[in-house]
Parts: sequence; C-alpha cells; structure tokens
Amino acid sequence: MPINVHVVSRSSRKFERDPETVKGEELREQVLELEARGEWIVHKVPEPWITVKNKYGRDKKIPAGHTWHHKSCGQCGHIPGYSTSIFWLHRKLGLDYHDPRDQTSCTAWNYYASATSNAAAQAAVALRNFASAYQSGYYPLIHCATSYGHYKEVRAQLLHSRKLRDEVRRILDAMKRPFVFPEEIVHYSEWVHAMRHRIAERRVLDLSKIVATVHPACHYHKLVAEDAIYDPDVYGGQRTATVSATLQALGVTVADYSTWFDCCGFGFRHILVQRDFTRSFAVQRKIEVMKEEANPDVTVTHDTGCVTTLDQSQFAARAHSRNVGLPVLSEAQLCALAMGAHPYRVCQLHWHNTDNRALLAKMGIDHEARWREFEADVERLKNGEIEYLSWEDADA
Amino acid sequence: MGCDTSRYAQVPREEKQRLFDQVTADERFGHVLYGCYECGICVATCPSARFYDFSPRKIAQATAREDVDLVYKFMNEDVWDCSQCFSCDKCPRGNSPGGLITILREVAVRNGLKTAKEALEGYGRIIYKIMSTGTQVAPDMLQPSAFPDWGPHVKEISENLPWWRRALPPETLHTTESSWDVSEKTLSELYLIWHMTGVMDMIQEVDEGLHMILMDVMEEKLEEAGFDLHPDGED
Amino acid sequence: MPSDRVLIIGGGPAGIEAARNLADLGIPVTIVEARERLGGMPIHAQYAALTPDLEDAETAMNRRIEPLLGHPLVDLRCNSAVTGSSGTAGDFRVRVAVGGKEDVVPAAAIIVATGFQHFDPGRETQMYGYYEFDDVITLPDCEKMLKEHKVVRPSNGQPPECVAFIQCVGSRDRQIGNEFCSKVCCGIASKEAIEIRQQLPNCKVFIFYIDMRMYGYWENELYWPAQEKHKVNYVRGIVSEVLKKGDRLVIRGEDTTLGRPVEAPMDLVVLSVGMEPSKGTREMAKLLGLPQNPYGYLDTVGVPLDTVSTAVEGVFAAGSCTGPADLEDSISAGATAAMRAAVLLRKKRAGAEARG
Repeated sequence: MPINVHVVSRSSRKFERDPETVKGEELREQVLELEARGEWIVHKVPEPWITVKNKYGRDKKIPAGHTWHHKSCGQCGHIPGYSTSIFWLHRKLGLDYHDPRDQTSCTAWNYYASATSNAAAQAAVALRNFASAYQSGYYPLIHCATSYGHYKEVRAQLLHSRKLRDEVRRILDAMKRPFVFPEEIVHYSEWVHAMRHRIAERRVLDLSKIVATVHPACHYHKLVAEDAIYDPDVYGGQRTATVSATLQALGVTVADYSTWFDCCGFGFRHILVQRDFTRSFAVQRKIEVMKEEANPDVTVTHDTGCVTTLDQSQFAARAHSRNVGLPVLSEAQLCALAMGAHPYRVCQLHWHNTDNRALLAKMGIDHEARWREFEADVERLKNGEIEYLSWEDADA
Repeated sequence: MGCDTSRYAQVPREEKQRLFDQVTADERFGHVLYGCYECGICVATCPSARFYDFSPRKIAQATAREDVDLVYKFMNEDVWDCSQCFSCDKCPRGNSPGGLITILREVAVRNGLKTAKEALEGYGRIIYKIMSTGTQVAPDMLQPSAFPDWGPHVKEISENLPWWRRALPPETLHTTESSWDVSEKTLSELYLIWHMTGVMDMIQEVDEGLHMILMDVMEEKLEEAGFDLHPDGED
Repeated sequence: MPSDRVLIIGGGPAGIEAARNLADLGIPVTIVEARERLGGMPIHAQYAALTPDLEDAETAMNRRIEPLLGHPLVDLRCNSAVTGSSGTAGDFRVRVAVGGKEDVVPAAAIIVATGFQHFDPGRETQMYGYYEFDDVITLPDCEKMLKEHKVVRPSNGQPPECVAFIQCVGSRDRQIGNEFCSKVCCGIASKEAIEIRQQLPNCKVFIFYIDMRMYGYWENELYWPAQEKHKVNYVRGIVSEVLKKGDRLVIRGEDTTLGRPVEAPMDLVVLSVGMEPSKGTREMAKLLGLPQNPYGYLDTVGVPLDTVSTAVEGVFAAGSCTGPADLEDSISAGATAAMRAAVLLRKKRAGAEARG
C-alpha cells in the first residue's frame, strides 16, 4: 500500500539540505574518542539498526530489537497502557527486548521540579542505568522524553568535564559497575517512527476517517534539539517528523493547529503542586486551540507528562463549560490499537480520564464488548482464578 | 516581572554575593549563560511567561550583569515559576535560561533558603517517593485528596488499584507503591548515589523531617548491600 | 615570459570593479563567471533597487557591466568554472571549463570574487516555516516581487495588509554557527519596507529586530525616513515562531520594550536572511588552497589595513567571499584587489626584464 508522508506541508518549496551543513557527528566522535582513550566503554547500537536523519541531517542509528527498556515512572505509574503498548508492539513485531527490574527512573522529573539533586547525582543515576543495560547485553531504549532529553544533557556535561567523569567513575567503582555510555540516545518514539511502515503493514483497523493533532514533546525536540528526527517530506523538514510521520503511515489525517510548538503545561513541579497553571495552559493554549482550529478526534503525543497533562487537565475545565473533551493517546497506544490490540487489556485506556469511547467507536472498536471482557478479567483476578493478566490473556 | 529587591534589603550583600558566586562556580554555568541580546525569544516561547509575571530574559540579563541583588530576588521567588520545558533553549546566543534556573534553584536548595523550603512545601512526599523507590509517581499516589481537580476518575483508579495493577501484562508493573518493580540491589545503589553526591545533605537543608525518614529507609539497605558510607572512618 | 594577465573568478560587483580598473590600466583580464551573465547577486537574485539610494538595480549594474562587454582587454567567460590551478605568483596556470571543454589560462595574479549566498532558512531556523508556508518569504524573494511591482501573498495572489520582517535570520546565532552580523539586512529590510509602503500605501509594515544596525548614512537615509516618513513600525524583540492560523500567519515574539509576549496575525512574513559564503567561494578555497575562517569565508591575512591579500601570494580576495559586505565594501575591495594585482604584475615584469 503506498504511504503518503507529506504531512500538512502547504508550501510549494522543497527543502534540500546542503551536505556541508550536516552537523552533530562531532558529538558522537567525542563519545568514541573517550572510549579510544580508555575512559569509558561505548555501548554500540546492535544490528540490525534503521537509519534516520536528525534535525541537522546526521544519520542516526535506531536499534530494531534487542533493546533494554528504560521505563518511564509516569507512564508505568499512571498511564500503564503506554508502556504495555510499547512492549506489545515489540512482541507483535517479533522483536526481542528486556524489561529490567535493575532500572531506576532518570529522576529528572524530580530534579526539574524541586532541584533537590545535582549534576553528579543525575549523571550517576544515568550511568548506573546504562551500566545495567550494557551488562544485560540489551541496548537502552528510553520510554520517557524527559529521560531522553536529560541523558543528552548529561552526555554534554560528561564530555565537557573530566571532574564530573571522575566523580561518576568513583561512584560506579563503589558499586562495581562498568563506566558505559551508549553510542546513541534513542527515544521509543524514534523506534516507533523507524518501525512505522512495518506497523502500518500489520494494521487491522481503517483509520482514514480519524483526524488527529500532534503535540511534540518539549523534552524530545527542544532539549538538546539536534537529536530529534526530521524529514524533508514531513512539514517540509521544519518540525520534527516523529509521531506525525507515524500517524500518516497509519492512514490518520494529521491536522495542524497554531500552538503546536507550545509546551503542554506540565511544568514538572506545577503538575504536582501548582496545577492551576498546568490546567489553564493545557486547556487554553492546547486543547481548546486544537478543538477550535482542527476539531480532531484525538490528540497524539509521545511523552509521559504530555499525555497526563493534556488528558487530566480537561476534567476541571468541563465544569467551567470550556471547549474540551478531546481524547489523548500516545502514538504507541494508537499503533497498538491499529494493529488490533485490546483497548483495555493492552492499551489500558481505563486509566485515561477524558472519555475516549467515541474515538474507539469511530475506529471500529466495540468498546462495550471489550470493556465487558476486561471486567471479566478483573473478576477472575478477584476470585483468584488467575493471579495476573498474562500476555496470552491480553491477546485472547 | 517585578524587579523590586527591597524585600531582601536586610540580607547582607556578602550573603547575596556568596550565593551568586556559587551559581557562577557551577561547571555548567559557562554553557547556560554566555551573554544576552535581550531579543526576547526565551520569553516568546515561555509558557510560564504567559501565566505569571515571569521573564527568563530578565533572569538571564540580571545574571549576566552580575546584579547580585536582583539575582537574589529571582533566586528566592521567580525561579520556582519556570516550567523547565526548555523551550527557551532556542536562544541565538546559545544560552539556556531554563538551565540557568536549574542552577539557581539548586543553589537555593543547597543553602536552605526559606523561600526554597516554602516552594517545596507539599512536595516532600514526592521527593520521598523518588528517592526511596527510584520512581517518581507511584500508582498509590493517585488519591482523590491529592488530585481533587482530576475528578471521580482518580477515586475509581484508587479503589480498583490492586486489581487493575494485576491486570497489566508486563510482569514488572504489578506494583502499587512504585511505578515498577525495582530490585533491592538497584535501590541500594541509588541510595549510594544520593549519599556520595551530597544530595542527602541538600535534603537536610530543606526538610529535616524528610531527611530523617529517608535515612531510616536507606541505612539498613545500604548496610545489607555492603556499602560503607564512611570508608575513611569519619562519622 | 610570464603572463601579464589577471584572472578574476566571479563577475559580481567586486569582480566587475576589479576588471574595470585593470582594463583601464591597460592590463588584460579574464573573467570566469559561473552564471550566464555578469552582475552577481543584484542581477541573479533580481534585486529591485540598490541600497541605500534605491536606484534601479539593473540600470545601475548595467552601467558597470556594459563597458566590459566587447572590451578588447576583457576576455569574458560566462557559464564557466575554474577547475584547477598550478604555478605561483606571476605565473599561474588556471584551468577553465566551459561546457565540456577545458583550457588553461596563464595569469600573473588571481582575484577571487566568488561572493555569498543567502542563508537557507530551512537549515536551522525551522520554526519560521519557510518550507511550510508560502507566505513566509525571504528578503531576495521580496526583491523579486518589488521589482515586478507585485507584492502579494504567494498563497492567494492578494496584496498583504500586514507584513512583518524578522531580522537576524541565520546571523548572530551561536547555535547555527553564524556568529557574525550580516551587516546589510537591517538596511535592506528597511529599504524593502519603504518600497512596500510606497507600492501598497494601506499595508502595515513591522520590523522585528534585536538591534537595528544602520551604520553611517544608512541611519538618516533609510532608518529615519522609514520610521518618520513611511511609518514603518519597528518592534524591539525577535520572533520565536511563525505559525499558521486559518489562512493567515501568526508571529510570536516578545515586545521587549513592554516586556510581554506578543502574538500578531500577519499576511506576509519576510525573513531577513543573512549571508553565507557561496558554494563557489567554498570550492575556490579548496581548489586554490586558501585558508577559510570558521564560517567558511576566505581569510585575508592583513586586516584591517590590507583587506584583499590571502595566504597564497598572488591570489587576492575581494567582496563578500571574505565576509558579509555591502555594495560599497565590495566595490572598494574589488578596486583594492585590482591595484594589488597590478602592482604584483608590474614587479614581476620588472624582475623578468631585469633578468631578461
């Protein structure tokens, strides 16, 4: 099936990068140079990898499989269908992965919220996780955009400061861990992007009637911006192609809105202790603008905080008769649904706040029947018939 | 953004200078602030500037001008309005006003400023969660009292929590007190990081009670894991 | 006997001025021009009027070009390229290709005047949407429309009611790596703003800037008239994003004098793109072994008192191949390079005759 990837580009001009302006390779070279000097081990992207272009035209390697899943605390804690969908996609595509217990959060959510940490602690947390991935033999795939962005900041700080490297090495030595840095920092949504055609080939739902807006995550495309994926055929190469190209591959119509660049309002500390800001921003600058300008069926994003903020902030706004009521999904969940995943057993949509039943119906999903199945699962759990819902149960 | 520093007139100049020097001494400082054009790109992209009387440009400019009085005022008040989204990283001079604010906040916390303590009031349970479990927002934090504005949905989740967690196919996600099942060894290593990098001292500065509770949780695990926190015999 | 010829690479303002002066001194020149005709950027990019005096660009440039056409001492080679060079000062042998054919031109000196190219706003300042929205254009795009007296929104062919210029696009930017000021964009944007106001008196024009850099007479010749006579609105604060709302554009920035974020609908946005070394400049640097500065421009070795000598004896550089330059800079440098080349040639000839 031909796949049209010209996402809302309304220009007659076509961007072509002058090869002399490609940049970003020097950073990778510095990482490799530290390995050559014996300072650390560089964890190489395992084959087979898929090559994508970053913002400045550099080739970036995305591992297809054999990945160590650096989970997101917000996803696993509050929107667990997000993580489950990422794993489910790997299983369905027949790709090997490892879901570690020897993993902590990057702890950057707390750091950006409260500053009760410091550069050395943050780098040590990152490198402890990277060591664990290396020792497992699996390559880190990072579920959270804040972890992804923060680890790139850590990379820059480590490359810049021998003192910081020495301090982190001292800590890793104390825990008898190797000092390892990955060749590429890869976000799960980049993996989805790289896999989008394979996902599209396996789709079982017709999504051609679905209109979606995309919220690109700040910590994905603004924090250490050059690592994000860009494609001259998507928005003329002027915005990140991640998520939008995936939706287009699935046959979803991507609709534009004028505040696409705005943050969701998460604010790190604000979502937890100053939610008046978060609610106002999410509703007035994002959801209402999307509704007014594009009237989409769903808004799709690719990070923990954005899903939470955009979804949860709509409840209170409803009481004030604001123009809200827009389902929020991660593209991982939408991809899984398109490939026939169960909306509750896999995508766990009952953890989401904003009503998404109309969306499911429009996608051709019998959500009432699926919910009855999930309720039956819960009954089986309650009466002890099963201890947990297994992957086999999820696909039953 | 208010630039009235009179509220801090009684704070000795030496104290303000001392904190300012800690900011500029941070190894990251040279990469978060070069100079400022006052072009306003940072304000234009800033979500907090739309909601609060807040200007990343003024914070960058005051710091670049070494206006220690104004920086002290910003460090005490404005920095806590920042969303840390890093939209301001677009700066043509290569500044990261958001990164500068990270450093300003860190100095405020490390020095136990009263305003930092106030800013972190109500946040202690979250610090406790991340530092003790290695995951920031556990499922059991979804309580109606904590998120009243998220509606009855939160109540539904909290009531069904044990069952809904078991209804998750990934084996690591059956937890309720942490976002996923983090192994004991992993936790002890995390605690070691907090101790070795001075983070525990920062916590002590801003929240003595929280520090005690965390120490209680950590010491035993660290000991069990065989990590000696005082290898040089200090206490 | 060494050649008494000077080879000029690039037939823009600087190259033309060098050729004119050398020919007037009785020195034969060969001009190698990549494009089909002389004139450089003002002709190639179809500038409407020159800055600052607003004289018609074609008329003004032709005044300099015509005397060279058919001049007995001027060997003009358009659609051609320098493909190699050997020899040393006083005795270069330069390979010049035209079509499929190549021949060797002996030359005593070489003047490189290969100029600049406009910054491509798709390269890094993606948020201005140049490759997303047709109504986002650049200074040279606007020149073309002004030349035809048809300033319209490309999306619908209608004249705009509201136009915004965004300054410093691709210049003065550490992230892009172009840390220099492109020098001319403030003047050119002001000039174009005046022309738009003249052609479309009902159109509001805004210029969003960091600093307006109107050195010398550009202040009273462009900036003041633009503000005072033509009522162009200057807003201190740069735009962060150009967005689409309905069928109009929205620009977002901070009005730094008010200290608040602003959003304003616009029909047309003009990006004041800066200068970068042209592809030809970068190629000639490699081919002739000329050191480049970190931005890719040719390094001249004796600034500020010698603006044209390069590290290679007998090879001079003039105009915007050495850095951002306005027309006056380029013309001055072209003439200086011609003089240095003539001096070298005379010295070499005198030396050869003495050895004779």
